[in-house]
Amino acid sequence: MITTKGLWFDYPEGDSFAFPDIALEEKKHLLILGPSGIGKTTLLHLLCGLLPPKSGEIYIDGTDVTALNRKALDLFRGQNIGVIFQHYHYIKSLTVEENLKLRQLFPKGEEDQVRRLALVDRLGLKNVLNHKVGQLSQGQKQRLAIGLGLIHRPKLILADEPTSNLDDENCAAVISLLKEEAELCGSSLTIITHDQRVKELFKNHIVL
Amino acid sequence: MRLEFLAYRNMVSKPMNLVFNLLLLVLSVSLVSFILELSKQVNGQLEKNIAPVDLVIGAKGSPLQLVLSSVLHIDAPTGNIELKEAEKIMQHPFVGSAIPVAYGDNYKGYRIVGTSLNYFDRYNASIDQGRFFDKPFEVVVGSAVSEKLNLTLGDAFFSSHGLVAAGKDVHEEHAFTVVGVLAPTGSVLDKLLISNIESVWKAHAHDDDENEREHHEEKLEITALLVKFKSPLGLVQLPRTINQNTSMQAALPRFEIQRLESFMGAGVKAINSIALAVLLVSGLSILLSLARAVRERRKELALLRTYGVTTKGLFYLVFLEGLSLAVLGYLLGWLLSRLALLFASKQLSSSFGYPLEISGFQEADLYLFGATIFIAFLAICFASSAIFTLNISKTLSDE
Repeated sequence: MITTKGLWFDYPEGDSFAFPDIALEEKKHLLILGPSGIGKTTLLHLLCGLLPPKSGEIYIDGTDVTALNRKALDLFRGQNIGVIFQHYHYIKSLTVEENLKLRQLFPKGEEDQVRRLALVDRLGLKNVLNHKVGQLSQGQKQRLAIGLGLIHRPKLILADEPTSNLDDENCAAVISLLKEEAELCGSSLTIITHDQRVKELFKNHIVL
Repeated sequence: MRLEFLAYRNMVSKPMNLVFNLLLLVLSVSLVSFILELSKQVNGQLEKNIAPVDLVIGAKGSPLQLVLSSVLHIDAPTGNIELKEAEKIMQHPFVGSAIPVAYGDNYKGYRIVGTSLNYFDRYNASIDQGRFFDKPFEVVVGSAVSEKLNLTLGDAFFSSHGLVAAGKDVHEEHAFTVVGVLAPTGSVLDKLLISNIESVWKAHAHDDDENEREHHEEKLEITALLVKFKSPLGLVQLPRTINQNTSMQAALPRFEIQRLESFMGAGVKAINSIALAVLLVSGLSILLSLARAVRERRKELALLRTYGVTTKGLFYLVFLEGLSLAVLGYLLGWLLSRLALLFASKQLSSSFGYPLEISGFQEADLYLFGATIFIAFLAICFASSAIFTLNISKTLSDE
């Protein structure tokens, strides 16, 4: 699912990062561990094509994402990758359901109400379905962010620090939710975090 | 629910912003459209009324006043001229037709004009009910007068001296009888009461003794002579001849009205410039609010990029929002201009007897629409420039 070789990136401000090679098989999960400032978010953005690497190769599901032009990359990312960002992102002017529906509609243009309602049920967002996102609690926002990352059944789910603000109990709950949903979609799950608590929950890990 | 729906939701998510932007746009569009239409219609009215008259001859005084009083019937006459002298002009080879007009009386504020039957032909007026006059004190009433004063065939009335309704000094010796009602002409005829010229003479002869009547007729007077040239040379020669060699003056309506329009033109220009300035300000306000929306929503825009929405799609989103604003603002503005026109029409027809036409979509409106869309489009382009340089990675990792 993910194959990288000799990945290297540097920011104009001076930080530069060389990343270890990654090889992840289809439907397998991966934990990428590392302390803050080591370039975890940079790596995640490289993997989903939000940043172009300065050198190195990235293959996602067999596609060389560094070779795609901007439009093709937007479409490829939209279809095949689901990203759960560290800071929750959503459309403020839309309700919870509309946010999820919008994610289903791009880029394939088809919605699946059954899938949406089932997912909302599992995420525990059923009774806030028609609320504007601004009215949600932090926990609800996080579950929505997770929903937005995988409602479209991406082949690859990338999660950036999904457990950083959570207590032990919730940490385990969120990881098992992510794993379950990934199994249900048949997706590969890759979590990037500094949270050592997650380490024992994954067989595969890379330490940066 | 695609980008269209999202654009709509974004638009209404800040109602105060939306209302303010719309208000500016509506104000400027309605002002421009209203002024354009008003000045066009006023000019059209003037044009329609002066077209049948190439030259007007009357007593010396202000030429503009002569045109306003004798052609447009909205000012006091400069005085009277002798019929005999006027008749000499009628014989001039360059004169095609000349219609004498005489007046001095009104009925409830509407002028009674004594003239010849040619006057109706000049304005292509036709009878709606009854017939044209053929005896003194028979009167044909304009459509607006008939409607306003409820005058119908067979009605009789006494005229009052002067040109404004006064209520006293009524000529009670001779009653006028309505013998005809004109079909609406959209010209000055609609608000006149028209009789033959002898009626006016006789109404004013009431003070004189029977003995003096003979003597009086020697110097019959008219107020003005409305001339149509037979040859364009008349335009060059006649005014000078008359102004230099007679005690009368000749005025060219077209020239005088142009002079009048140039006086008014400054005002119209000033209002139009103000309206255009407001339009530019409203464009600027759209620009600023779109730019702010793009800045405030840059995280959402970056998020949409991760959903697979292309840069073009994001531009389309902002474009939709700006364009709907412009189109909505334009339509509301246009409607408001027509409401204003309706209001102005009521005012004008009660004070001058000239109603305005509540016109549909005019050519000028098309240009205004084009200008509005163009300004909005510029605003959209400037506002959305940030989209093309959006750093998704940085935007999404910032708290």
